[in-house]
Amino acid sequence: MQAQFPQKTLLSLVLSLLLLSAALAMPGCSSSYQMLLSQLQRLANDTEDPRSLAEPYMHHQSLNTTTLRKSCTEHPAAFPSEDALRALSKLDFLHTIDTMLGQVQHRVEALKQQFVRTQNFPQLENAEYKIRGIRNNVYCMSWLLRRSQKTLEPTQTSSRALLSPAPTSDTFQAKLDSCRFLWGYHSFMGSVGRVFSEWGDSLSRSRRHSPRRALHKRAHGFRHSRSSQRPMPRS
Amino acid sequence: MAFSVVLQKAFLLALLSLRAYQNEVFDEPIQLVPEVQNVSTSSKPQQVNLQWTVPNLAHHQELKMMLQIEISRIKTSNVIQVVNYTTTVKWNQVMHWNWKPDIPLECVKYFLRIRGMVDDDKFLLQSSWSNWSSWQEAHIPVSLEPNTVLVFPEDPLVEEGSNITICSVYGRNQHNVSCYLQEKPIPGEQLDSHVSIFNLNNVVFFRDTGTNFFCNSIDTKLEDGIVLFVSKVLEEPKNFSCETQDFKTLNCIWEPGVDTALAWKQQPPQNYTLFESFSGRRKLCNKSSCDWQITDDSQEIYNFTLIAKNYLRTRSVSVSFHLTHRVYLKAPHNVSLEIINTTKAHMTWKVHSRGNDYTLLCQIELLCEKEVIHEHNVSVHMSGDYLFNDLDPDTEYKASVRCADATHFWKWSNWAEKTFSTPEAAPSEALDVWRIVRSKNGSRIVTLFWKPLSKSRANGKILFYNIVAENQDKPAKSKHCSIPAPASDTQLTLDQSSYKLHITANNSVGMSPETILVLSRESGNQEVVEKRINGTKDGFLISWEPRSRDVISYIVDWCAHSQNQLCDLQWKNLGPNTTSTIISSDAFKPGVRYNFRIFEIPVQGPVYLVEKQTGYTQELAPLESPEVLTSNLTSHSFTLSWQGYASQFQAGFIQGYRVYLKSKEMHCHSGWDKVLLSDNSVCCNYDIKDPKQKIFTVENLRPESDYEFSVRSYTSVGENQNATFMMVTTPDEHSHMLLKTMLPMSLCVLLIMVVCYWKSQWVKETCYPDIPNPSKSSILSPIKYMQNPHLTIMNVKDCIPDVLEVINKAEGTKTLYTGAGKLHAENVTKLPPVPTEKDSCGPVPCIFFENFTYDQLAFDSDSHGHVPGPLKDILCQLGPLTPPKNLLNVLGNSNMKSLTGSPTEETSLIYVSQLASPTCGDKDSLTTNLPRPVHCSEYKMQMAVPPSLASPALSKNSDLSSMILLGKGEP
Repeated sequence: MQAQFPQKTLLSLVLSLLLLSAALAMPGCSSSYQMLLSQLQRLANDTEDPRSLAEPYMHHQSLNTTTLRKSCTEHPAAFPSEDALRALSKLDFLHTIDTMLGQVQHRVEALKQQFVRTQNFPQLENAEYKIRGIRNNVYCMSWLLRRSQKTLEPTQTSSRALLSPAPTSDTFQAKLDSCRFLWGYHSFMGSVGRVFSEWGDSLSRSRRHSPRRALHKRAHGFRHSRSSQRPMPRS
Repeated sequence: MAFSVVLQKAFLLALLSLRAYQNEVFDEPIQLVPEVQNVSTSSKPQQVNLQWTVPNLAHHQELKMMLQIEISRIKTSNVIQVVNYTTTVKWNQVMHWNWKPDIPLECVKYFLRIRGMVDDDKFLLQSSWSNWSSWQEAHIPVSLEPNTVLVFPEDPLVEEGSNITICSVYGRNQHNVSCYLQEKPIPGEQLDSHVSIFNLNNVVFFRDTGTNFFCNSIDTKLEDGIVLFVSKVLEEPKNFSCETQDFKTLNCIWEPGVDTALAWKQQPPQNYTLFESFSGRRKLCNKSSCDWQITDDSQEIYNFTLIAKNYLRTRSVSVSFHLTHRVYLKAPHNVSLEIINTTKAHMTWKVHSRGNDYTLLCQIELLCEKEVIHEHNVSVHMSGDYLFNDLDPDTEYKASVRCADATHFWKWSNWAEKTFSTPEAAPSEALDVWRIVRSKNGSRIVTLFWKPLSKSRANGKILFYNIVAENQDKPAKSKHCSIPAPASDTQLTLDQSSYKLHITANNSVGMSPETILVLSRESGNQEVVEKRINGTKDGFLISWEPRSRDVISYIVDWCAHSQNQLCDLQWKNLGPNTTSTIISSDAFKPGVRYNFRIFEIPVQGPVYLVEKQTGYTQELAPLESPEVLTSNLTSHSFTLSWQGYASQFQAGFIQGYRVYLKSKEMHCHSGWDKVLLSDNSVCCNYDIKDPKQKIFTVENLRPESDYEFSVRSYTSVGENQNATFMMVTTPDEHSHMLLKTMLPMSLCVLLIMVVCYWKSQWVKETCYPDIPNPSKSSILSPIKYMQNPHLTIMNVKDCIPDVLEVINKAEGTKTLYTGAGKLHAENVTKLPPVPTEKDSCGPVPCIFFENFTYDQLAFDSDSHGHVPGPLKDILCQLGPLTPPKNLLNVLGNSNMKSLTGSPTEETSLIYVSQLASPTCGDKDSLTTNLPRPVHCSEYKMQMAVPPSLASPALSKNSDLSSMILLGKGEP
């Protein structure tokens, strides 16, 4: 019995250490800040290109006429502006990306239903994969930032659905809205990529600022898209 | 039944009588006025629904009525349509009538009213139209802002080829509104100040996501639009059929045609429903097939209707059949094959049959290397079998069988297959063998060639070839060799005996029948004249004259590659009665000469060469031009030769050569033709029609002229085009003569000069010996002696003493002067051998040559007064030429002066002269006066000695009787 005591203690110690390390390590996440940042920049740059999604969508929906293209591209959907993103703290910035991309993901899912066969529009599937990838990396980066800051600060993000699409039975307006949304998404990812490029090489140079200011800026930073308020017939 | 009808009519009469009584109007016809209950509209689809009743009907009364509905647009007076229809109305029943407006309800107002008339046989009295109901408005109002543009109808769904009217409504502030179908502007028709309509006729399918129709205001840049969904026309299913494999399930299939699905959930893909009329069952199917369960075993006949349906159209197609006529059997099973021997195999199989009462037809196929080589049909019930005969040994086969209902053939089942191989057998055919025999060092080199047996004759893998050379003269000297496959030739070295060669091919089972070749002592390769033949692209027709009647066969052989070292011998074995054959081969090429030899294989005796024939499948112009050498170039001719030109390897039979000659004057002599070349240059042409002539002399040329020539061979097709012109220049006309005359003369003169030069000394001495003339000598200046003017005195100071020779002769001394201080080479080379001590001569006169030795000390000590010993001695011994003392002084001074200017002046070395052999002086006198070698002759090597050592040597030699004083500048 006396001999078993130190063995039990040792076993407990080892198990404790293992559990602790498992808790500290995020499974599937790279612990390299540089690697995560470069991946995020690359993914953001990839998704910035309208040829990856919005252009094919316009082609499929026959919106690639002069007038309709103009209507789509000149009035993209409201996403946080680049200034607003730049004003956010890193964690808030990441949280905003995650929120916005969550909405984009839902929208892309909805868009898939609009096609007879999704095989006709493989770009949607590709976009979904990329959005999942970005969100995973954003998640890992958030975890890395939180771990480095030691303290868990509350993130300043709005809980409301920022881009809830207005349900419409008008297919023409739905087409245009989707097109504007996708165009706004590409623009937003361009802004995200540029903000990421301003991030420092190390975690230590994490930018901090007043959450209130960030919130204020974000409130003014949303661009309002052209709302297609089609009057509903009075039946 | 009749009673009830009578009762009903009576009831109606009573009712109407009652109404008439109540109205107190008996002469007016009865009117049943429909009453509109409700008018409703829907935007999608665009539709007006009219609900109406006939309020005056009796309880539970049914009445057939004719109805008329009037439809007006915009205003009631603008009637656009009158619709008549008949229906049965019931008491207390709301009737419905739907109508699709042409212009969307959002853009215009419609007005409807209805009236009716009894149209029933039960109603005996005359009826007339009732009064109209009141006008009912049908419209979908929209809220229209002053700056708004709206387009209707919303997302219309139409079939390809149909027409549709689209309208746009715009607010009062909108004036410049343009509308587009995709990018194409669509002109509109203004209905009123804020409504325009657009008629689209015969619309086409653009994309399943729809065609965009939109309007925008130029002023406010606002746009609105709709998506026109054009569906493809639903097609009727094609090739609809049903069949069963197991009498439990009917599998129905069809070709669905185009998919009419539209995006944005406007129209799903068309659905297909299978309806069987006898059973009344219905089943929703997938796009192109349906499995129908046979639930009732007693049902034998089926009547199926396949219904295809989408939102816009329904199509159907029917098929009716007896179940047993639609039997598609499963593939036979348990197929097995038993190999009986190398040529026979037995196949058995089983079929999926409903029993012994049903007869099935089975088709059997035998395939070899993917080709059907045998096909047979057999009738079976439950199982079948078949025997395959005449199979080839060592061959892989595939046996296949399929079956169908023999009574009501519908379709074959799938194939059931089995692969098998037959075992090997001994080769069934003798080898086709031929040979080439050549002699070498008294032996015969026999190269045997054989053609590999075909697969069907080899009956297995050939492992080796056996060759037995049976010596007919000396049986003990027979040879045997085994050549492993896949060789197709071998070489034997045999002596001059007669041999019988036995050749067989062997596989693992046995050997082929042997092929026998007889090699007699006689070669059989007689010299025969080669005959030319003309081939065609199909080959060569070879014919020959038979030599004897006792012939086993004829063999025609040739080389497949006649121009290569590798002959690749080909041969064709022909029967004994054959005297001609066509030799064709894919390897034959145009422009290649093929040589054929026809051999006769007699029953007895050696193989006999009957004929040699040669030809081309197609002659071409020569590809190679002759390499021409020029020779015998004169001022008027030159010779061309091209002996190395191999005419037998050209692309056709060489018929001759053409010599082309170009020159500036372009005058062609007789026999030459003036021709124009392809480069438009003109030249002379000479045709050599003898192909064996390979030398030609071009004559009648001009001297000192440039000529260009070219020799081209030609065949029946044409001449060689690759030849180039070469340049030749004729020499001068006189140069030849000059060369002939002047050259020997020059040589003669040169020879004489050489001889003269060689003998000049001798000639000079013989013919013109030097006779000194003191009076003419500058040395002996004519100093007039005061007392005797005739006396001439030698002025020593003008004399450069080069050589002084003192000949110790009894008669006196003789001075040898070679001029310029040189000793003639001849005197040196013709010196007798240097006498050794042994044969030294006796006390005879000796001749000594010695360089003058310069003694620096002498110059330093007394350059004026002192005269070196030897010189002093010499001068003393001059005898009659001895000058007076003052002259000697003069000589000494001048001479010393000249010596001081010599290159050796500055050196402290004293050069000791080399001693010449004792042949100097008069050679004749030497040879005559000195019969034996002179004892006292010496030869001293020239060497540098210090001054201290030089003086004694000089003093030692001071008693020499003869010496040569070397001139200035000579070492």
